[in-house]
Amino acid sequence: MNRDTQKALSTKVGRRSFLKMAGIAGAFGATSMVSAAGVTRAATEEEVKNPFPGSKSVKTVCTACSVGCGIIAEVQNGVWVRQEVAQDHPVSLGGHCCKGADMIDMVRSEVRLKHPMVKEGGKWKRISWDTAYERISSKLKSIREKEGPDATIFLGSAKMGTEQAYYFRKFAAMYGTNNIDHQARI
Amino acid sequence: MTNHLGDIQNAKAIIIFGANPAVNHPVGFGHFLKAKERNNAQIIVVDPRMTKTAAKADLYAQIRPGTDIPFMYGMLHLIFKNGWHKKEFIKDRVFGMDEVMKEAEKWTPEKTADVTGVSKELIIQITTAYAKATPGTLIWAMGLTQHTIGSSNTRLAPIVQLALGNMGEEGGGTNILRGHDNVQGATDMCCLSHTLPGYYGLSKGSWGYFAKSWGVDFDWLKGRFQDEKMMSTKGYTLAKWYSGVLAGKPGEDKIHGTPLKALFVMGNGITSISQQAKVKEALDNLELIVLADPFVNEAAILTDKQDDVFILPAATQFETSGSVTATNRSAQWRSKVVDPMYESKTDHEIMFDLAKKLGFYDEYVKGMLMKENKKEFTFPEDATDEIARIIKTIGLTGWTAERLKKHQENWHMFDEVSLRGFGPMKGEYYGLPWPCWTEGHSGSPVLYDIHRPVKEGGMGFRNRFGLEHDGVDLLAGKGSAPAHSANKDGYAEITAKNIEEVLGITLTADEKAKIGKNWKVDTSNIIAEKCMEAGIAPYGNAKARAKVWTFPDPIPMHREPLHSPRPDLVKEYPTYADKPNHYRTDTKYASVQNEKDWSKEFPINLITGRLVNLNGAGMENRASKYLAKLTPDMFCDIHPDLAYEHGIRNGRMMWIHSPEGTKIKVKAKFSYSVGSDRVFIPFHFAGVFQGKDLSDRYPEGTAPYSTGESANTVTNYGYDIITQIPETKGGLCRIEKA
Repeated sequence: MNRDTQKALSTKVGRRSFLKMAGIAGAFGATSMVSAAGVTRAATEEEVKNPFPGSKSVKTVCTACSVGCGIIAEVQNGVWVRQEVAQDHPVSLGGHCCKGADMIDMVRSEVRLKHPMVKEGGKWKRISWDTAYERISSKLKSIREKEGPDATIFLGSAKMGTEQAYYFRKFAAMYGTNNIDHQARI
Repeated sequence: MTNHLGDIQNAKAIIIFGANPAVNHPVGFGHFLKAKERNNAQIIVVDPRMTKTAAKADLYAQIRPGTDIPFMYGMLHLIFKNGWHKKEFIKDRVFGMDEVMKEAEKWTPEKTADVTGVSKELIIQITTAYAKATPGTLIWAMGLTQHTIGSSNTRLAPIVQLALGNMGEEGGGTNILRGHDNVQGATDMCCLSHTLPGYYGLSKGSWGYFAKSWGVDFDWLKGRFQDEKMMSTKGYTLAKWYSGVLAGKPGEDKIHGTPLKALFVMGNGITSISQQAKVKEALDNLELIVLADPFVNEAAILTDKQDDVFILPAATQFETSGSVTATNRSAQWRSKVVDPMYESKTDHEIMFDLAKKLGFYDEYVKGMLMKENKKEFTFPEDATDEIARIIKTIGLTGWTAERLKKHQENWHMFDEVSLRGFGPMKGEYYGLPWPCWTEGHSGSPVLYDIHRPVKEGGMGFRNRFGLEHDGVDLLAGKGSAPAHSANKDGYAEITAKNIEEVLGITLTADEKAKIGKNWKVDTSNIIAEKCMEAGIAPYGNAKARAKVWTFPDPIPMHREPLHSPRPDLVKEYPTYADKPNHYRTDTKYASVQNEKDWSKEFPINLITGRLVNLNGAGMENRASKYLAKLTPDMFCDIHPDLAYEHGIRNGRMMWIHSPEGTKIKVKAKFSYSVGSDRVFIPFHFAGVFQGKDLSDRYPEGTAPYSTGESANTVTNYGYDIITQIPETKGGLCRIEKA
């Protein structure tokens, strides 16, 4: 599907303007999907069976809850293209709940935070990582010098990997405070 | 979790307190249903709400929120009265059960029925069914823990299991269903303000062990802190960090420490923590807020703060690799699926970069280079090995990256019910559930199991609190040691001093030179290796404590929630006195409970919980079109009778007011899952605050597909007496038509 048609199909464009666009596409014909004859063809059996040639399967674990269901991610050219259940996982045995089945959509979600940002005068502003690091660390340093290391608190996460959680705890220790916590207190 | 999900298939009875696995752990719940199908196990649910789990139960008790202790004592009353308890087991392996028996005497079925709101016939039926079908497994989650008496709740549940001899048995145990994927792992690594990784405390000795293990000078580390005293002082908690910012304002809890000026959050939905109005005020008053998350952390939306709010795109766990510990203590290896999307960076990369900027990078990463004296490290593998090298207390020595990866490659070579490995995995249990004492150890699928040898996962209870108390021996009784043990009785935790005596061995001079002071700090691992050969658990073989003499309630006691619908019972079962300097802040108990009869103005019990399509603060799943669409609006489950009284109609808006003076506007959803004395709200929403829509505050293109009021704007004040977990599961509210 070409870019314009895709745009035309999005909800922002009304039905009337879509028809108009489709009409234009039809009139100019040639490479557009609308005038199909001789341009498109039916997928081969192989293409139906294996729509992502050269893809690899990666074993990982769902991040929703603590059951730890297996996930098999199909990756093609660095893109997560399909998610498969893990039939041979000893705990989930191929099972998935709706959250787990949707992990691929969480990762590829269009509403992810895409770059560092800062709020300035009440407005969000895109900044580079270097700027973010520079500004955060100089602010932290000045607070640390003025008020001491205990004027900062670090809230970590039960959604980090174990190694990351360990390094988060170590970060607070070397920053010089026991103001560190996460979700699970019992 | 003492056992594991597959092991629940071995249970003859399953009792669930304050957990809803059918919704919150659906795939795990499959194992429960298999127990029912294959083993004819009865499922018993005790919950204030008729959950989807309760819908699958054989017996269901709709308990009044916050009365789990009376319910369990009611069970114990009948168990002891009918002689259903395991007398030998209690004599040999439990300390202080006599005092529990005395307290249980008071909880007759009539008394229990009055306090819990469950009929005495049902209490008798449930207790009989559960006590007679051994082994029985006891399950809980946050419904049991999030109370002012949460720590007592989590002690009485194991006491029930100890009384019935259900601990250390396949199909038995206390099995806690953790919420997030790595609650177990992150807790083991102690992202906590009172411990160091592996639950080592904050004493000078612990810090010394870590300084040495991290390859840094102790004095340098000490110099990073304000002083030596603060190095050993517990920090603020997630539950009440806001007090650290609001300190000094009228009406706020007093603090004992430096006021907070900066907040650094990584992967934590702090919009699902109680007291949202206070959290907002605290955010507004900070000098610096840094929020690193794959999505916009909604704290950034909640606050009115205009400057110095940084949001950093963090990668998900699918864009990195490493280990994650499931609810049963099994470690699983995750392989990286794709590179971090957009400009996002992994959590550890952000930490490493900031450590460089803050000037402690070399010290920070040195621990990863020490094992093999490397010049450069590979993350996460070298971090996994660093953890394995240092953490002895819970037995992580055997968790090397190489072994964990091999388990991932061999998912298909493990049995679902026992987790036992076959073929290349023979002699190991899936994910090497800790304790995994040595690099050759099998892992321990069932804690406190003395039917198997230590090297195959057997162990007694840990000797942690001395050898005797009040003249009573704290070590396990004669003959109650793990199978094939060189020492058949109770024994103390193993030290360099007693190892030869307890194990009946003689160490060589070389071994004596290398061995650490005790099993917790023995980086040579000689103690653990020798213990495996002799069938001895390095942490000793002692009695489980039913009585904890250092706690405010040495044996668990019922205390009404701070906001109770039963003023008569508040008099009989009052809460604690206010607690000064608890994690750096004063915490109110009696002064809140006695302020007035809250039930007059706020007569309805407020319950919160999860939905199947969302988890945690909900941002991850509300950022998915499909999942968000299943529950597009924040809502309140309300019984039609109660709704009718207030003129509230199905699908129309209603207000929920809390004793804190806060309120939320939500959609009414008629439901019979709650009685007419209580309402239920899910806690996954944010982006609307006390009726005000904040959705215009999201940076362009980052708003989730659904927003709503946060339940925790109206959950009540109240914190557990030991851990400070908030009391979100036993509060009160008032409702009105909007």
